[in-house]
Amino acid sequence: MSEITTQSKDRYFNNLVNGVKTVFEGMSITLASFFTRPVTVQYPEADISTDQTIQDNYKGPLSGMPPNYRGILNVDMSICTACTLCMKACPIDCIYLETVKCEKVTVIGKDGNEENKVRTCSIFKIDIGKCMFCGLCTIPCKPGSIYHTNRFEMNTQSLDKLVLSFVDDDSRQQILLKGMELDAIAEAKKKEKQALADKKAAEEQAVSKKTDKEKEPSTTDDKDNQ
Amino acid sequence: MEAFAVSLGVHIYLVKAIIMFIIAALSVTFMAVISGLTTWFERRIAGRMQSRIGPNRVGPQGLLQFVADAVKLFMKEDLIPKGADRLLFKMSPYLCMIGVFAPFVVLPWGMGIIAADLNVGVLYLISITALVVVGTLMAGWGSNNKWSLLGGMRSAAQIVSYEIPVAMGLLPSILFAGSLSMIGLMNAQGWAPWQWSAFQNPFTMIAFLIFFTGSLAEGNRVPFDLPEAESELVSGFNTEYSGFRFAVYFLAEWANLYVIGALTTAVFLGGGNLPEALQPYWYLSIFLFLLKTFFIMFVIIWLRWTLPRFRIDQLMDLSWKYLLPLSFIAFFGQAVYMLIDHQFPVIDMVTGPIMFLIFLLVLLKFFYRVAINFREQNKTVNTRA
Repeated sequence: MSEITTQSKDRYFNNLVNGVKTVFEGMSITLASFFTRPVTVQYPEADISTDQTIQDNYKGPLSGMPPNYRGILNVDMSICTACTLCMKACPIDCIYLETVKCEKVTVIGKDGNEENKVRTCSIFKIDIGKCMFCGLCTIPCKPGSIYHTNRFEMNTQSLDKLVLSFVDDDSRQQILLKGMELDAIAEAKKKEKQALADKKAAEEQAVSKKTDKEKEPSTTDDKDNQ
Repeated sequence: MEAFAVSLGVHIYLVKAIIMFIIAALSVTFMAVISGLTTWFERRIAGRMQSRIGPNRVGPQGLLQFVADAVKLFMKEDLIPKGADRLLFKMSPYLCMIGVFAPFVVLPWGMGIIAADLNVGVLYLISITALVVVGTLMAGWGSNNKWSLLGGMRSAAQIVSYEIPVAMGLLPSILFAGSLSMIGLMNAQGWAPWQWSAFQNPFTMIAFLIFFTGSLAEGNRVPFDLPEAESELVSGFNTEYSGFRFAVYFLAEWANLYVIGALTTAVFLGGGNLPEALQPYWYLSIFLFLLKTFFIMFVIIWLRWTLPRFRIDQLMDLSWKYLLPLSFIAFFGQAVYMLIDHQFPVIDMVTGPIMFLIFLLVLLKFFYRVAINFREQNKTVNTRA
């Protein structure tokens, strides 16, 4: 009986002492963390990709997205052959492009293969607001000019700003002019060719007429046919 | 001012009513702003203690966060649940608010600056804050929700239990001052820390700690926030409240923090008492009083982010098995001390400085622990593995 009472008495006072001790220690820990620097990186304001102090001090991953991340689309216009396969592949029609003729060049794609480029884009627009980042447009692209970046930050105030245009107005004018020029040349060439062909045909006809005159019976055959 | 107005021919009761109205408006405005700022203060401190930053968007350093929160809450729909007791449901937030507003009548602001120096000031304060119990019980019953009801019941049990240690914790100071009025209690202490009633002798120190713990429980603060234990009772008695009524509950909760701080300061930490040389500058006394109050508020917030919550039976154990006997010991000890002090007044000169010295040693030890913890945390939190 007496043993139990001493035990419970001990426990009573131990509880008191422990309570005070733990509060003392706990408060010292929280005060210490009150004075430590917050680890928070104020992300949209702090530029995590360039700020060296953040990169040196932050413990978590800062390198951004993995390389195979399907982020916002980008187009490398210098190697685009304007084949329009991406536009056709897009299931929700968020890619829109118009092509015109250009001088024939050979481009080297990302996989090292050579591609012939005879047309170029006067308009190349991707509506990121519609895009669902499926990656179907990147599959048929032979030179690999359309690809996913690992960028994901693109918040804007309006939907219009989500439409990416890869041909700016100045170069569009030039491309269109150049295209018209080339079209005109091609037209002229075509006409010339046509004229040449016509001439040739006429000559041939003339020659054949001559021979026809020599061969009387055949002309009568012709007349019969007519 | 009163006499001047009466000499102009204004009726004396009218003048008194106007003055009363002005003082009441000032107190209420002060309280609303203070409790708003305290929400910001608390969230910032909590952030820093958890290695975060806390709200820093609205206004300079997020100072106007409470305005944004209040505007948001006012925009919300005011819902009354089906099957609720509409009268009780609507009345409860205002009762809670009155229970917290009313102590401002007797809370001092500095040396001799007080709205009304009642001769039963402390008694009035203890009894009027019990209105909060009625409020939470009514909210729990009126909401027609089992979580609310449980929260309200717990709240009532808790506040009723802790009323006793709180009142008993105040008694040694009252014995010493021989007065129940706030100004009387403040005047009984001096400006220096060893003249404060908290450091007067070991018994007042115990009483101070008991009072402080008990008022945390009365204010439903963590670690005694059982009425709104989020993990057990959705949100406790205020589960069904939304919009303006919810805002009123929060106003009351954070204003209560100020009330606890001010009461502790006035009764135990020397109020706004200034040294003789500085006494003509009365505004310094207001400044000192507010400084001490805010420090106590900081300690309360600090405790909240340190300690986990009690279980309901542990809470009752603490009140009835630990705080109550200790408060009796403190009360009895103080009575004996007063008897000895009456015969040998020298003892009064000795115990104060000794207690303060012990307190300083404990503080030194505390800061030593803080320094050690700080070094370890800096290593683990802010450096790369």
